[in-house]
Amino acid sequence: MSASAAQLKLAAAPEHDAEPSLNDLLVKVGRGDETAFAAIYDHLGSSVFGLARRVIRDPARAEEVAQEVFIQVWQSAARFDPAKGNAKSWLLTLAHRRAVDAVRHDQAATNRENKYDWSSGPDFDEVEETVTITLEHEQVKRCLDGLTELQREAVNLAYYQGYTYAEVATALNANTATIKTRMRDGIVRLRDCMGVVA
Amino acid sequence: MSTDLHSLMAPYALDALDQDERSRFEAHLDQCADCRAEMAGFMATAVRLGDTVRHAPPPALRERLLAEIGDIPQERPIVTALAERRGLRRTLPRLAMAAAFLVGAVGVGGYLVEHQNAEEANDRSVAMSTVLGADDVTTASKSFDAGGSVKLYSAPSADAAVIIAKRLPSPGKGKVYQVWMVDTEAKPTSQGTFVSDGEMIMKGVAEADHIAVTVEPEGGSDQPTAAPIAIIAV
Ligand SMILES: [Zn+2]
Repeated sequence: MSASAAQLKLAAAPEHDAEPSLNDLLVKVGRGDETAFAAIYDHLGSSVFGLARRVIRDPARAEEVAQEVFIQVWQSAARFDPAKGNAKSWLLTLAHRRAVDAVRHDQAATNRENKYDWSSGPDFDEVEETVTITLEHEQVKRCLDGLTELQREAVNLAYYQGYTYAEVATALNANTATIKTRMRDGIVRLRDCMGVVA
Repeated sequence: MSTDLHSLMAPYALDALDQDERSRFEAHLDQCADCRAEMAGFMATAVRLGDTVRHAPPPALRERLLAEIGDIPQERPIVTALAERRGLRRTLPRLAMAAAFLVGAVGVGGYLVEHQNAEEANDRSVAMSTVLGADDVTTASKSFDAGGSVKLYSAPSADAAVIIAKRLPSPGKGKVYQVWMVDTEAKPTSQGTFVSDGEMIMKGVAEADHIAVTVEPEGGSDQPTAAPIAIIAV
């Protein structure tokens, strides 16, 4: 963990006016302020739980993971530096990582029971439909629609389903180099379409 | 395997790397300014994807969390721990080994979470996690009639302890609480000061007999100048 790595900055999403106060709240959480913790939860609970639920699917398991996320927020909030990122990004990055780790852990356990059978994996068309329907933000939906099919499938399987890029390659019957490239092209296109400034 | 690590940037931002590649890429990210420069926008894009699937959590989750967190220690000391700076670095490699396992076990995730503010917070949080996660950790606490409590977690295996003070009444204008490590042979050694809430790590507790808290003038004293308000056996 070098000092330079600590300089990594997360772009603030421009339309989020509430961000500065969330940042302040998270700093207070880091100092043991339970009221601030409750306020953070009230602001971001549905984002964290929704993301966990989207990736994990099982609502009860998603609730467990959301709980772990917020406990970690409580424990680690002092590491949050508002000069280097915003609170919502910090929480959602954490939440996504944990949700992905949970779904992979559970999947590995299932696979051990099932003697590892890839053909029983989730059906892709059904997955994409669910994602599209639950998307709330029109802009994100429009930007996803602007991707090529392979870009969109690669991003969806990885981000919303917790597939590794190697698993995405298997699921889409493509080689890993192609999938990595599609993911990169997809993210770049989404970034530019959403107007993310970094 | 000779994967071009730059090509893992997008999979990393989407959390599409397995554990090994994730670690290797994070090591690369530490070294590669190009990747870091572009990663910020990639991560922000991923966050936008993540924030489009909101769903109200069950109300019980909020109640559970708010009931629980009061008992869950936080990672970073708020007080200035004098002893920490002196004694901690020497023993860090050993502590860091143990903490690496702990961090893995609880699945602490997220490059930003892990790396933000790293230099400043890392030593302390590593040591604190080690104590709180040690197999042999024991706790002792003292509550005050006027409100607030002081809780001590000691882990002989780490030769360290964590003291957590919560919501103590104000010590008075120009006064602070000061924490002392006391053994039967030598003079008490100051561990740092706090006002109302504080967490601090103490090293070398193997030789300590007890931890004491006194009220001292702002800035702390060299030796205790008042009778302790709390004595906690180690
Ligand atoms: Zn690079």
